[in-house]
Amino acid sequence: MAGLYSRAIPARRQIFTASYRDGLLAVHQSPSRKLAAVVPIKYNIRSVFARKVGSLMTIFGVGMVVWASIFAFGLSAGLDKTLKVAADPLDVIVMRKGSTSESVSAVSDEVANIVKELPGIATDREGRKLAASELVIFGYLPRRGKTTKVNVTVRGVVPVSRDLRESLHIVEGRDFKPGLREAIVSRTMSERFEGLGLGDEFVLRGGSFRVVGIFEAGGGAVESEIWTDQTVLAQLVDRTGAMSSMQLRAASKTDQEKLIERIKNDEQIDLNALTEEQYFKEQADQSSLMKIVGGMIAFFLTIGAMFSVANTMYGTIASRAREIGTLRALGFGRTSVLSAFLLESLVLCLLGAVLGCLGALALGDLRTGTMNAATFSEIVFAFDFGPKILLKGAMLAILMGLIGGFMPALRAVRMKVVDSLREV
Amino acid sequence: MKYLPLIFRNVMRNKIRTLFTGASIAVSLFLVVTLHSLLASQDEIMERTKVHDRVAVLHEAGLAGRIPIAYVDRIRKVPGVVCATPMSWFGGNYREEKVQFPQFATDPKEIFNVYEEYTIPADQLKAWQADKSGCVVGSVIARNKGWNVGDKIALQGNIYPVNVEFVVRGIYDGPSTANKEWLLFNFEYLDDKLKKENHEARAGNAGIIMLRAASADAIPAVMQTIENSFASSDAPVKPMTEQQFAQSFTEMMGNVRGFIRYTSMAVVAALLCVAANTMAMSLRERTREIALLKAIGFSQSTVLGLFLSEAVLIGLLGGVLGALGGKLLFASVDLSKVAPGLGLFFIPWKTALGGLALSAAIGFFSGVVPSWRAARMSVVSGLRKVV
Amino acid sequence: MEPKLDQQSDAVVQLVNVSKEFTRDKIHIPVLTNTTLHIPRGDFVAVMGPSGSGKSTLLNLCAGLDRPTTGQVIVNGQDLNELSEARLSKWRSENLGFIFQMYNLMPVLTALENVELPLMLTPLSRAERRQHAEASLKIVGLEDRSDHYPRQLSGGQEQRVAIARALANDPVLLLADEPTGNLDARSAEEILELLQSLNEQFGTTIIMVTHDPKAARRAKRLLHLEKGTFVHADIEALEAVR
Repeated sequence: MAGLYSRAIPARRQIFTASYRDGLLAVHQSPSRKLAAVVPIKYNIRSVFARKVGSLMTIFGVGMVVWASIFAFGLSAGLDKTLKVAADPLDVIVMRKGSTSESVSAVSDEVANIVKELPGIATDREGRKLAASELVIFGYLPRRGKTTKVNVTVRGVVPVSRDLRESLHIVEGRDFKPGLREAIVSRTMSERFEGLGLGDEFVLRGGSFRVVGIFEAGGGAVESEIWTDQTVLAQLVDRTGAMSSMQLRAASKTDQEKLIERIKNDEQIDLNALTEEQYFKEQADQSSLMKIVGGMIAFFLTIGAMFSVANTMYGTIASRAREIGTLRALGFGRTSVLSAFLLESLVLCLLGAVLGCLGALALGDLRTGTMNAATFSEIVFAFDFGPKILLKGAMLAILMGLIGGFMPALRAVRMKVVDSLREV
Repeated sequence: MKYLPLIFRNVMRNKIRTLFTGASIAVSLFLVVTLHSLLASQDEIMERTKVHDRVAVLHEAGLAGRIPIAYVDRIRKVPGVVCATPMSWFGGNYREEKVQFPQFATDPKEIFNVYEEYTIPADQLKAWQADKSGCVVGSVIARNKGWNVGDKIALQGNIYPVNVEFVVRGIYDGPSTANKEWLLFNFEYLDDKLKKENHEARAGNAGIIMLRAASADAIPAVMQTIENSFASSDAPVKPMTEQQFAQSFTEMMGNVRGFIRYTSMAVVAALLCVAANTMAMSLRERTREIALLKAIGFSQSTVLGLFLSEAVLIGLLGGVLGALGGKLLFASVDLSKVAPGLGLFFIPWKTALGGLALSAAIGFFSGVVPSWRAARMSVVSGLRKVV
Repeated sequence: MEPKLDQQSDAVVQLVNVSKEFTRDKIHIPVLTNTTLHIPRGDFVAVMGPSGSGKSTLLNLCAGLDRPTTGQVIVNGQDLNELSEARLSKWRSENLGFIFQMYNLMPVLTALENVELPLMLTPLSRAERRQHAEASLKIVGLEDRSDHYPRQLSGGQEQRVAIARALANDPVLLLADEPTGNLDARSAEEILELLQSLNEQFGTTIIMVTHDPKAARRAKRLLHLEKGTFVHADIEALEAVR
């Protein structure tokens, strides 16, 4: 007995005890130091990893949900972004009153010449006014690998048009030659449509055009267009005396306002003018179905995931009732236990969020095309998996963690210590 | 079957868990079923309207092309064509609304012959045919915009450089597959107006020509004849069945079908994970009971069947709520108020039942591993296991 | 016996006319009836009695985990009725140590971290906490097992870690609920030795609920509960068991 005793209690116990007691006495008697009664984080983190399969399943589930939501967000954000990447904030689009898109608009050459002489239009180095009448018509082409055709935007341009879109540059082949049935197409269009490869020919309103160049324009709506010489195109579709719309750049923000005001109200002109930003914003508004669908996906998935997170946490808490009881018996308050389990659910969901974000990033530079609801023509866009979208996905995960974890955590706190200690 | 009460009790043992698993399956299935129906409801409508043997004649250059109005009469004479009407998309703006609703310049004498399943009171039809500046509207759009017979509707031209004003002469209705969001007006009214306001060049465009063939068998010949007879003219045409025509619109939406498939797969995978996890948790807690079942003589396969049935039942609970509930919801809610153009949206039975089957499958596969483990568990260690 | 309510008295635990009833399905079940108890500082009390006699309830009342239906529970001069739920938590962390039948160690924390757990509730620094926890483990003779997880320890060792955890915050009162109930005879002996020596060396007051007469024999006093009341004079009962 004595042997056991001395093994259990070390010889230095008296010294130890003295200092130990003094220390603790100081602890209990110093009310000025605020108690931070927080359940150690490692307890929760390790608990997540202790239930390997269960946690992994939940993390994977949350990850899939975050991934799908990011996918949906990325789709509508990408479409938005493409429509909103305006070449220049000073650009103005002039159309017939009542027209919501260039393709249905008409601006007579007569009036166009008056507009070009208006004060406040920017000029290039050679003194040319940065204003261009442009002809926008629809081609009707099949997507690669598909038989049915969709509308694509074809723009008949003049040299100034190029100055109005500085971002456009030819990356392959050459520019079209004036007077010939040649065209340049964006790289994305070239990849997506039959007959738009470099050197290919495509039929437009009964005329055959050769693709001589591929361009890039740093995203934006221009990347969904085919460009060709205005005279050639006008001849083909038999348009004389009027083009579709005008594109012009104001010298300054105030000039822009004045120009728009003048074009709208001058009886001689009587056209509608709006900033390019505004024009695309309105188109984006019309393409809102994508946004509705995307939002719906994210909304329902998040709610569904909340239930599953809640389930997992309920299970966790039920199987750890005794641990919770012990924590409470040891003196951890309700708030600390509540926050500890909320934290655990957050950790689970954040791991899921990381998985979902990685999954989205793995998709890389994903491009697709859809119908622009305002013009009924093809618009090509890249999914936007930018930090903002990823953050949005992560916020969903946090929401799942907090809301899904709250009720179970509350139950953990509400459990009677006495009962939970008895739990097996 | 005799185990049904036991299975049912087990399902209800942890009500919150069953409810939450069911709810998470329900919500997600609702989503999957709804997404699928966006496409499937179109297909179903097409399938059902097939009996009306309609053909759309488009310009070879698509919707943007111009079909001379004279073609209508020529097409009417093609053998096998019962009736035909121009349907020219006006695309006007109503008040300050950003989103357009469909407006067609058409032939009041023929349109309801072509769309034979659409219904309109005889006196209203007569009134419309008698008034060149009259229009008829679908029952859904009339309800949403609060239009009644006798109201005036002004539209601002967008595609056409003219503004128009109509008096509502009638409200048409039709079966569930009918599009009741149209505004139909007299083609001649638009033509006269264009000529009067010096837009001669824009007049006389039939847009598309919709015709009804005598029978389904006649359609191929009709299409062939029409295509050939205009092939060498200024405006060659491309006839397609109503179904193909609608499909070309879906096609225009691009890879949406693919995205819906990806998203649905992700959702189902996520569901499988969480459901399996719940089932595993549920069975882990019952280790001792399971051991007891086996100790008193339940065979492995019975135990397996017992727990698989339980998982399937929980899955089905979610499926009934999500898929069938979704069907009921959309059947009783009018979506055209929320989003114009969705007036025809519904969840087809095929999709709803498919969703139900999917939920059962999710339940089944979520239960496979945990139930297998439960069935294989050694009785001795199971009975001894404390936690 | 007239109970003294003197706050200055040497009693660590005073129960004054305590009754406790449970209500289950509208049926009132009396567990403790009008019980009065006085446990002086440095006492080591064993509580025995058949199942349902109110042993655990007595312990829970002393710990403030449960509140009496009527009567007062005064521990270390503090009337527990006066404390709110939140204050009770804090009070427990400063005054009590717990030892459970099932040890109740956190499976995901090492032995040392388990001992450190109650110290998280004090403003001690990280280093100080560690030092205290190590010292407590040394008292129970498990300093060489500090990095082991509970599943890597034997039952007896787990219970010793639990005791170290109970000691870490230098409690006024140590409450043990069947501390040897889950252990083999040899491990049980070791645990009882440890408790006894804690009581003798440090003067720690211990209340121990047990079924095991061998365990009860280690205590200085024995309380026998039957149907919610103490039925035996302490010393005699202890002698009787011997």
